[in-house]
Amino acid sequence: MTKPETIDSVVKVLGPYIGETMARSATEAHCHKLGIADGSAVSAEQLETLLGKLGGGLNIFLGRDKSKTAIGEVRDALTRGGGR
Amino acid sequence: MSGATKLPWVVVLLAVLLYVGWAIWPASALYNDVLSAHRLLAIAAVFKLAALLLGSIWAFACRDRLETDNPARPAWFLLSLGLLSTFAGQLSLAPFQLVLGETPFPTPGDIFYVLAYPFLIAALLVFLNAYREAGLPMGSAAGRALLLAGVGVIAIVILRPVAATAGPLLDRILTIAYPALDLVLLVPLVLLLRVALRLGRSEAGEVWLLLLSGFVFLCAGDICFAYFQSLGEEHLDPFVHATFILAYALIAGGAHRQLRILKS
Repeated sequence: MTKPETIDSVVKVLGPYIGETMARSATEAHCHKLGIADGSAVSAEQLETLLGKLGGGLNIFLGRDKSKTAIGEVRDALTRGGGR
Repeated sequence: MSGATKLPWVVVLLAVLLYVGWAIWPASALYNDVLSAHRLLAIAAVFKLAALLLGSIWAFACRDRLETDNPARPAWFLLSLGLLSTFAGQLSLAPFQLVLGETPFPTPGDIFYVLAYPFLIAALLVFLNAYREAGLPMGSAAGRALLLAGVGVIAIVILRPVAATAGPLLDRILTIAYPALDLVLLVPLVLLLRVALRLGRSEAGEVWLLLLSGFVFLCAGDICFAYFQSLGEEHLDPFVHATFILAYALIAGGAHRQLRILKS
C-alpha cells in the first residue's frame, strides 16, 4: 500500500474520533518523521511504527482502551485494503 | 444528540435567556411581579454551584479513567481542582445570595476564585504539552510570539480603563486581577484552539468545542464583571450571571462528553 492510500485509510477510520483534518495532519507528520516518501510503498515495519505513534496520540483524546480499538480498526482497514 | 442529552442544554439556554431578559427588560412584570431580584440571584447561584460541582466531579472521573502514564491525566485533575476552587468561591458567596439577596465584593470567596486560575492555566498548559508530545501540529514559534504580542495589546486596551478607576485598593487589585488572569489563560486557550479546529465535529472535537467555548465565556464574564464593577454599571450584572452560567455549564459539558468517550 502506498503512502497516500495508507493516509486515506487512516483518515477514514480515525475521522469520527479526532476529525479528518487532525487525522490527516497527524498521519502526514508521523509519515514525514518516519521517512516515508510520497508515492513509495509503506513497509510492514513502518506501518507498525506509524500505528504505534498514532495510538500514542489517540490515547490522550480517547484513553488507552478506545485508542486500541481505533488502531485495531485502522489495522483491519489497511489489511482489507491489501496493505500487508 | 438524544433527547436526554439535549434536556440539560435546553435548561441552560432558558437560564441564560432569563438573565439576558432581566438585563434588557428589568422593569417587565416577569422580573418584578413573578421573579424578584433576590430569587433571580438565588437561582443563578444554584445553577453555578451545580455546574461547577458536576464539572469538577466529571473532570476528576476523566482523570480516574485515564491510565497513570497518560499525559492528559494531570490536566483533567488540574481542571477538576480549578472548578472545585471556583465552586468553593461560589459556595462562600451563596449565603449572601440565597439569604440576603446580595453579592458583596470583595469577600473571602475571592481567594478561591483567584486560586482557581493557576489550576485552570496549568490544566491548559498540560493539555498543550500532551498534544505537542503526541506529535500534533502546534504552530511555529513566530506564530506563538505573535499571539503573545496580540494578548499584550489586548491587555493594555482592556486593563487601562479598569486600572484608572478609583476605589478601595483591594477592590481595584481584584478587579484588575480577574481580567489579567483571564488574559494569561487566553494564551494556552488560543493555542489549543488551533488543535480544536482540526478536530472538527469528531468525538474529541465536541469535547474541545464545549471546553474552549466555556473558557471563552469565563474570560468574557470576568472582563464584563471588571468593567461593570469599576464603571458603576452594576445594573448590567444579569449579563455577567448569564455569561458565567453558560461558561460553567459548557466546561462541565465538555468534561461530561469526555467522560462518555472514556466510558464507551
